[in-house]
Amino acid sequence: MTNSIRRVATDVGGTFTDLVAFETGDDGMRVVTAKSDTTPPNFEQGVLNVLSKMEADGIATADVDFMAHGTTVVINALTERKGVKVGLITTEGFRDTLEIARGNRPDFFNLHYEKPEPFVPRHLRAEVPGRMTYQGTERAPLDLSGLPAILKDFRAERVQAVAISLLHSYANTAHEEALLAEVTRMWPEVSVVASHQITREWREYERSNTAVLSAYVQPVAARYLGKLDEGMKQGGLKQSPFIMQSNCGVDSLAATSAVPITMVESGPASGFWGAAELGKLIGEPNILALDIGGTTAKCSLIEDGEVRIMTDYWIERSRKSAGYPIMVPVVDLVEIGNGGGSIAWVDDFGKLHVGPQSAGALPGPAAYGKGGEAATTTDANLWLGRINRDYFCGGSIEADMANTEAALKAVGDKLEVDADEAARGIIRIANNNMVNALKLVSLNRGHDTRDFTLLAFGGGGAMHAVALGQELQVKKVVVPAAAAVFSAWGMMMSDLRRDFFVTQLAELSEGAGGVIEHIFTEAEAKARETFAADGVTAEQVSFLRYGKFRYQNQEHTTEVLLDGAVTDAKLDQIAEDFREAYEREYTYRLDAPVEMVGIHLVARAEVGKIEMSPAPMGDADASGAIKSRRTVDYALEGRHLADIYDGGELSPGMTFNGPAVVEDPGTTIVIHPGNKVSVDTYRNIHIELGETA
Amino acid sequence: MSNADPITLEIIQNSLQAAADEMFAAMRKTAMSSIIYEVLDMGTGITDAQGRIASSGAGIPAFIGVLDKSVQFILGKHDDIRPGDVFITNDPWHGGVTHLNDLVLAMPVFAGDQLIAWAANIAHNSDVGGMAPGSLSGDATEIFQEGLRLPAVKLVRESVTDQAVMDIITTNSRMPDFLLGDVWAAIASVRVGAKRLEGLAEKYGANTFITAMENFMAFGEASAISELAHLPKGTFELSEDQDDGRVFNVKITITDTDFIVDLRDNPDQDAGPTNTSQDGTYVCAQMVFKSLTDPETPANDGSFRPLKVLTREGSVFHAKEPAAIGFYFETEVRVYDLIWRCLAPHIPARLPAGHFSSICGTFIGGIHPDTGRQYTIIEPQIGGWGAWDGQDGNPCIFSGFHGETYNTPAEISEARNGLYVDKMALNTEPGGEGKFTGGRGLVLEYRIRTDHGFLTAGYTRSKVKPWSLEGGNEGSGNYVEVIKGDETERYSFVSGLDLTTDDVVRVVTSSGAGYGDPKDRDTKALALDVKNGFVTAQAATDIYGSHT
Repeated sequence: MTNSIRRVATDVGGTFTDLVAFETGDDGMRVVTAKSDTTPPNFEQGVLNVLSKMEADGIATADVDFMAHGTTVVINALTERKGVKVGLITTEGFRDTLEIARGNRPDFFNLHYEKPEPFVPRHLRAEVPGRMTYQGTERAPLDLSGLPAILKDFRAERVQAVAISLLHSYANTAHEEALLAEVTRMWPEVSVVASHQITREWREYERSNTAVLSAYVQPVAARYLGKLDEGMKQGGLKQSPFIMQSNCGVDSLAATSAVPITMVESGPASGFWGAAELGKLIGEPNILALDIGGTTAKCSLIEDGEVRIMTDYWIERSRKSAGYPIMVPVVDLVEIGNGGGSIAWVDDFGKLHVGPQSAGALPGPAAYGKGGEAATTTDANLWLGRINRDYFCGGSIEADMANTEAALKAVGDKLEVDADEAARGIIRIANNNMVNALKLVSLNRGHDTRDFTLLAFGGGGAMHAVALGQELQVKKVVVPAAAAVFSAWGMMMSDLRRDFFVTQLAELSEGAGGVIEHIFTEAEAKARETFAADGVTAEQVSFLRYGKFRYQNQEHTTEVLLDGAVTDAKLDQIAEDFREAYEREYTYRLDAPVEMVGIHLVARAEVGKIEMSPAPMGDADASGAIKSRRTVDYALEGRHLADIYDGGELSPGMTFNGPAVVEDPGTTIVIHPGNKVSVDTYRNIHIELGETA
Repeated sequence: MSNADPITLEIIQNSLQAAADEMFAAMRKTAMSSIIYEVLDMGTGITDAQGRIASSGAGIPAFIGVLDKSVQFILGKHDDIRPGDVFITNDPWHGGVTHLNDLVLAMPVFAGDQLIAWAANIAHNSDVGGMAPGSLSGDATEIFQEGLRLPAVKLVRESVTDQAVMDIITTNSRMPDFLLGDVWAAIASVRVGAKRLEGLAEKYGANTFITAMENFMAFGEASAISELAHLPKGTFELSEDQDDGRVFNVKITITDTDFIVDLRDNPDQDAGPTNTSQDGTYVCAQMVFKSLTDPETPANDGSFRPLKVLTREGSVFHAKEPAAIGFYFETEVRVYDLIWRCLAPHIPARLPAGHFSSICGTFIGGIHPDTGRQYTIIEPQIGGWGAWDGQDGNPCIFSGFHGETYNTPAEISEARNGLYVDKMALNTEPGGEGKFTGGRGLVLEYRIRTDHGFLTAGYTRSKVKPWSLEGGNEGSGNYVEVIKGDETERYSFVSGLDLTTDDVVRVVTSSGAGYGDPKDRDTKALALDVKNGFVTAQAATDIYGSHT
């Protein structure tokens, strides 16, 4: 290939380490994929292994222009409790904040509820005198006379990381900075993080817990990233890889090593970013993105090409547990325990449920024949002919249909129906769970799903997308070309991105324009400074300014995009923009005064993207791509003889109608009766739903 | 496939739950009062056309049994119920159940001309008038002193707001802007719910929709009755002394099909505001019953069908109009705990030892020094929970009355209320020792920054402490202290106490009670208690018999 640019995404998952290389040049794009076992605890070895597989496919590591890396190391260290021993230093009178938490009992009829344990026990939570006010003025000076004794105790207890979180540090960082400097001076080898380095938002429990969890994973993540970098450089990589973040951007390896907690939810982020980028490419800026994997389904809403980033993120939170907050910028997503491997079960009262328990990769669905006895969503899809039993997992596994039948019959027996009916029930319940999740990110927030395009990816997305799209009456359904490597593609389209959230109250009255403008310019200067440390010049950095507004006395805020410098003259328009956004989400407006609670600044710099070149549109006739016909059970719409298309044979310009199924090794697209399908110039599959039930 | 197959019914039921949750989220995000958006002293629910509860949102368990009673009252009072109407009530003798601060809004849902369901919510509003700021006063002797009574009237007529009613409501409040914002949040919430339900009925047909709700309730009933089989049968009785010297009595009879709570033998209603309505008492029994029979699944009308509650009109648990009821919650939490305590020795698998068991309602108001505006803190407190066999109790969570409820962060409280939070810590006073220890209560210190403020508080379990099981120690007790210079006064009930600059209000909540003899505590667990500063070395020797 001539004039080629090579971009590579690597992703370390629990079981496999994946690589996708995109080589673009004058002759178009070539995609190389490779897979290798994940190699704990020396994860970099697995990455080097896939790199050598890539070399075998003709791409030398030394020729790679850009590499992005995604990893679950942070979330795994948290959920498996494999971080380090942390000591917390906080404001006098508040050592117990971490244990008091917020006092909620989500599982409220259960009187044996067990509150989540804090990550730091009481004897490792120390206090220092000194107070800031909420306005950022000093009420009492910081007194560090007790610090030597605190650190002595931490050392004796073999503390490996120190977290610092002081009251009102979001408003004034001076005390935290002084404490941080002193800890570093007195104990240079310890890992230490102060809450303001991660977030400048209020709520002391959430901020303290964020600092603690960041400290908890910091040595683990820094070691991982250090070895990865070293390994890749030995492998010939010219430039350190960029690291995928939870805010849909990538960040430098050095910056990520300092505050690794920002990676916590990076797994789904690249796919959602890919959805936003693809939407722009095909002229569909309003996207409902759906990613169905083996154990969960995740969805997110993209409006006008922008993902929504929030800092209200919790791990291990459910109807049964309060969980733990992590106040970092995370793409706004809803995740439910419904994937291909989700297990169907019948409760004591004859009600059918699907998930959240999953059969995982082992034993996997009953059809794997690896000992799984439980019927999963995948088994139901197989039984109904939606998945090709002769082309299971791209032909790599022979479907054990006898086992699937036995599993479905077991479910059916409890419901007093046959295996067919049980399978239809499983699909309908799974779809309903996903519809409710999609409603949470759309209708629930005042968005009309008819204005959105449903974009489905991940292993199972395309199998359920049309049924969900019909239920939600979306504009249309799009399945991206190479849906199986879509997340990797999304990673290649990411910007270097940092989200800054700063809490600062300001009434929208005379003089506020200058105050607000100052908050933004200060944050922008800070952003340029941090980017400069990574060699990104000020000219390369662009900003998006959001204000977080509310009616006076409210708590929850609505974000409004602000255009240009904020001045007093613009305040009325800003307030009106807020009222409009608020009314759309909540159906009414008030005459009450509007106030700003803080800012959300998005700073980003392009680090190069894949250039997508359109292919010429060809003949509409798709009949050459038909490889067979079979009966497919569409649950609510009954059984139909469907055309089965070979996805690899579809080319731009082709059109055809449902009922149909498109199969390629990584994806199965189920197309319902009445659907009209077309292949666009980038080979994405567009499905017009037509008359729906 | 027919539309009324089990899977369709299941899908409708899931969607009812999603709608109730959505109503909850909408209200939380739009409310003006921190007691709604932060403390989440609110509830949302969906009833069928007859006002039977079909599904409820998150929030607080004490509100789940309220909304059906409100809707049933509205149905009894009004003949002219039309699409787009929204009703409002707050009065316990007009379907309001709790106290006047709690505004219930209910919106009928139609499929064509047919009434098929109701979407309703309840939330604590900061001030609805009456003799004291915040509408709650320990000095009230009649409900008329506790605020504006709204006797289940139409607030919105066929989608048009009745401005006259709205004006009356806001004009009667000391905090009209808050009230208006909160009422609009409630209207937005019921509208969201009604829209979702209309969509469901349209998609699946009204009859299928109704069948699904009936089916769901039948499921609730079946699950309650099947769990009843696992409970011990017989009659259980308890008499318990109260902080104020009264004695409360309960007699519970459990059979294969019934769960009867007899509260007839109890004192006459109070001259003050600590009475509850008959409906309110019933709600308390519902909560314990649900915890005993099926804490897992969402509650609906069927869940409570085996339950019967007997009360005597004119008693503290069934007050006659126009009794004052402002502090009803402190009496309700007593009857709730009375039922729990009566059964705890017999059903240890579901019932731990006593918890701090008080709302510890704390009301502080005054002028914000930085904004010059009035502030009012209205908050329940968190405290310690009791231990059970094999498990120490939880530190600092909300009482059995509150559930998915959040405390107010110090950083937000200082900004919003213009006072200082000097301390927010676990209470390490002695109490709750045992083989398994009670969880720790709270110490919360507010330093007042302006003159002419006030404190009102109503705590129980102050003298009569949280009760232990199997030889554990009782909890430490709830109280509030006011520190003025060198003087410290301790209170459990206080009304309108004057606060001046630099006064400190110290809220102290109880530990939960212990389970089992402290001398049997695991030595490693005890060593960790000492290391963490929960137990002194002296107490380790004296109470736990430690020899190390």
